[in-house]
Amino acid sequence: MSLRIGIREGIRTIQRNGSLFFLSLLVISISLFLLSLFGLVTVNLYHFMGKLDEKIEIIAFLEDNADPDGLTENILKIKGINEVIYVSADDALKNLQQELKDTEEVLKVFETNPLPASLRLKLSPAHRNTQGLSDISSKILLLRGIKETIYGGELVDQLKKITGVITAFDLGLLVIITFSVIFVIFQTIKLTIFARSREIEIMKLVGASDSFIAVPFAFEGIIQGCIGGLVAFVLTVVTNRLALSFFSNIYFPQWWFLLAILASGALFGIIGSSIALRRFLR
Amino acid sequence: MISFDNVTKIYQKDWIALQDVTFFIDKGEFYFINGPTGAGKSTLLKLIYKDEEPDKGTIKIMDQNLRLLKHRDIPKLRRKIGIIFQDFKLLPDRTVEENVAFALEVTDTPPRDMRKRIMEVLTYLRLSHKKFSFPYQLSGGEQQKVSIARAMVHEPYILLADEPTGNLDEKSSQEIIEVLLDINYKGTTVLMATHNLKLAKRVRKPMLCLKDSKLTIERQ
Repeated sequence: MSLRIGIREGIRTIQRNGSLFFLSLLVISISLFLLSLFGLVTVNLYHFMGKLDEKIEIIAFLEDNADPDGLTENILKIKGINEVIYVSADDALKNLQQELKDTEEVLKVFETNPLPASLRLKLSPAHRNTQGLSDISSKILLLRGIKETIYGGELVDQLKKITGVITAFDLGLLVIITFSVIFVIFQTIKLTIFARSREIEIMKLVGASDSFIAVPFAFEGIIQGCIGGLVAFVLTVVTNRLALSFFSNIYFPQWWFLLAILASGALFGIIGSSIALRRFLR
Repeated sequence: MISFDNVTKIYQKDWIALQDVTFFIDKGEFYFINGPTGAGKSTLLKLIYKDEEPDKGTIKIMDQNLRLLKHRDIPKLRRKIGIIFQDFKLLPDRTVEENVAFALEVTDTPPRDMRKRIMEVLTYLRLSHKKFSFPYQLSGGEQQKVSIARAMVHEPYILLADEPTGNLDEKSSQEIIEVLLDINYKGTTVLMATHNLKLAKRVRKPMLCLKDSKLTIERQ
C-alpha cells in the first residue's frame, strides 16, 4: 500500500474517532510535558555543575619583583593548565573594593596596597581534583617569583562527591520518569487501538493487508506524538517564563528541547502503535 | 474447491475441536455444517479462512495448500472468501453504504469501481434505499443482509456463514436462507454453519455433521 493511502486512511480514522484521539493526545501531551520539565531540571543541574567545576582554580601569588609574562609562559607549559590570567596588585585591590562595596572603609586602614599580584590558573577538567591541584601547585611553587599558592584542596573532592550523588540521583529519577512516561504513552495508544479492535478484525476478515491496517495507526501515532510534543514544548516555555520570576538564570536551549520532544513524541507514538498492533497482526 | 484431508485441531489443554476430519466440497455446492454448540463448526470455518492452523492434516482451498500459504498472502485468500457472522460485525458509526465500501477501501479498490459495485450488490439485496441508514436503524434481517453485501462485494468464490440466522426470527431466517441459496445458484460455493437442524433439513442440502469432534456427511 502506498504511503499516500496510508496517510489518507490515518486522517480519516482521526476524523472518525476525534474524541478518542484528543483524549489520548491530552495524556501524551501531559506525559511529555512532565518529561520535558524534568529534562529542563536535569539540563540546568548539569549546567550549574559545569560552571561550578570551571571555578576550580589555583591562585599563585607573585613576589614583588616577579616577571608575570615569563612566568605565564612557563606555567602554560605544565600539563593540565588551560589558561593563565594575570591579576596585578591594583586589579586585585579594585576587585576587593568592588566585593566589599559598603564596607570599603576597612581598606582605608592600609596606607599602601597590601595585596600582591597573582596568576589565576584555569585547569583542564581532568586535573580539577585534589590530586591534580596538589601536583600542579607543587610544580608551580618551584618556579622563581612564586610566593605562595592557594586552592580548594579537599573541599574540591567533597564538592565533587556531593555533585556526584546529586547527578546520580537526578539521572535515576530521569530514567524512572522516562520509563513511566513511555509506559503511560504506550498504554494510552494501546487503549485507543483496542477500542477499534472490531474495525481491525473486520479489516482482516475482508482481506486488508497488514500494512493497510498498520500504516494509518502508525501515522496516527506519529501525529499524536508530534502534536503532543509541541503542546509539551509550549507548556515548558510557559513554565520557564513563570520560573524566571523565581530563579534569576535558567539555562533553556529551546531549539534542542523542541527537537528532542518532537522526536521522542513521534518515536513513542510509532513504537507504541506498532507494539499494540502486533497482537492483532500475528 | 474446499478439501480437508485428515484434519485435526487441538486447542490448549488437550481439547480436541476436530479429529481426522476429511471432506471435499466442489465448486458451486451448498453445504450445511450442523452440530451442537462447541462441536467445532466455527473452528472448521476458521481453518478455511486461515484464522486458525490445523495441528494435523492438509487443507486445500481452490487447489492452494493452506499450510504452504505465507502470512503475507492470507489477505489475498480472504478476498476470495466472503464471511458472515451471527453478530453481523458491522461498524456502528458507518452507514450501510460505508460498511459495504469498507471492504473495498481496505483492499485498495479504485473509487470509480467501488461505487458501481456497491450499488450492484445493494440493489441485488434490495437494500439500496437504506444505503444512508446506520446499522441501529435496521432490523436484524436487514443488518445480516448488509453483512452479506459486504461479504459479496468482492465477488468471492466461497461464502462462509457462521450461524447467520442465530439472532434472527423465523421470517428473517427464511429470507437470509433464500438469499444464500440464490447466491449459491449464481455459482458461489456456500458453507453455512447452523445448530438449527429443522431449518437445515427444510432446505435439503448436504450436511457436514459434527459430533464429539468427528465428522459425518449426510446427503439429503
